[in-house]
Amino acid sequence: MSNSYLDLLAYFGIGGAHPGGFNLTLSLLEDENIQPVDSVLDIGCGTGQTAAFLAERFHCQVTAVDNHPIMVEKARERFKNRKVSVNAMEGDTQHLDFADNSFDLIIAESVIVFTDISKTLKELSRVLKSDGRMIIIEMIAEQYLTEELQRKVCSLYGIHEVLTEKQWILQLQQAGFTQVDMINTPSEFIQSDITDINQSKNINTDFYDLWEEHNEFILRNRKFIGYRTFSCHLT
Amino acid sequence: MYQSNLYNQCCRYHGQKVRITCRDGSVHVGEITRVSRDMVWIRPDENLGGYGLGFFGRRGFGLGFGIALGAITGIVLASAFFW
Repeated sequence: MSNSYLDLLAYFGIGGAHPGGFNLTLSLLEDENIQPVDSVLDIGCGTGQTAAFLAERFHCQVTAVDNHPIMVEKARERFKNRKVSVNAMEGDTQHLDFADNSFDLIIAESVIVFTDISKTLKELSRVLKSDGRMIIIEMIAEQYLTEELQRKVCSLYGIHEVLTEKQWILQLQQAGFTQVDMINTPSEFIQSDITDINQSKNINTDFYDLWEEHNEFILRNRKFIGYRTFSCHLT
Repeated sequence: MYQSNLYNQCCRYHGQKVRITCRDGSVHVGEITRVSRDMVWIRPDENLGGYGLGFFGRRGFGLGFGIALGAITGIVLASAFFW
């Protein structure tokens, strides 16, 4: 399934491409208690900035998965250049090629919203160890979205639905995450500085147009669409 | 990037703060002040002085400095929203 917005992120090769940027990633993970024996899954790893950080900082066993071949290619390039050992692979969040109970920690940074949310959450709860935890940063509807706005978001980003905070929690619970906590993050959706980029050659101008459309859309609709960070446990 | 695309891109970002990557791996951040068929001028932020751009940064005003379009491999906005 193609998605122009995700193609844009892949061609421009932007690291930390999620609300809050890499600074939010750092603030969420820096003080985590992650041991070298822990297996960590970075699902929707993009160009691998978070995965590389995890491997360098905690020396844990990191698996980085993305469904976009260009993302995986750029992630592998990063791991090679930084000389970090991360297992990078192409994969589909809804059908992961891992045994049940495989991971101590799963991280998804603005990833699940681009998939069939309930299928992905069920799959992630399957591969997470029963005493493991999952941290996700995802788009939410801050208030009621008109049908028109809902349609616009879905077509612009190639997503199926925008859930409210309550709906996210419900979906997480239905997938088996009995304990869901919200992590306090700056509530306002602000621009993040691009400091990590690996741009492909000859990017079609359509993608610059799309970037502009996306930027204008966010500036107009920041009140309606935001993000939340959830920390989720199965037991 | 094709030179004509790059030129159009620079024009589109005129007045905005961009991040330019060059063939030699160098990175320049600043506001686009002028664009010609083969050059783009950017004025770095003053507060980026310690960033290796200090020499230009201290000048502060005017057009900043020029980069040959042929040396550029990528140009993007310096900051943006992302999902």
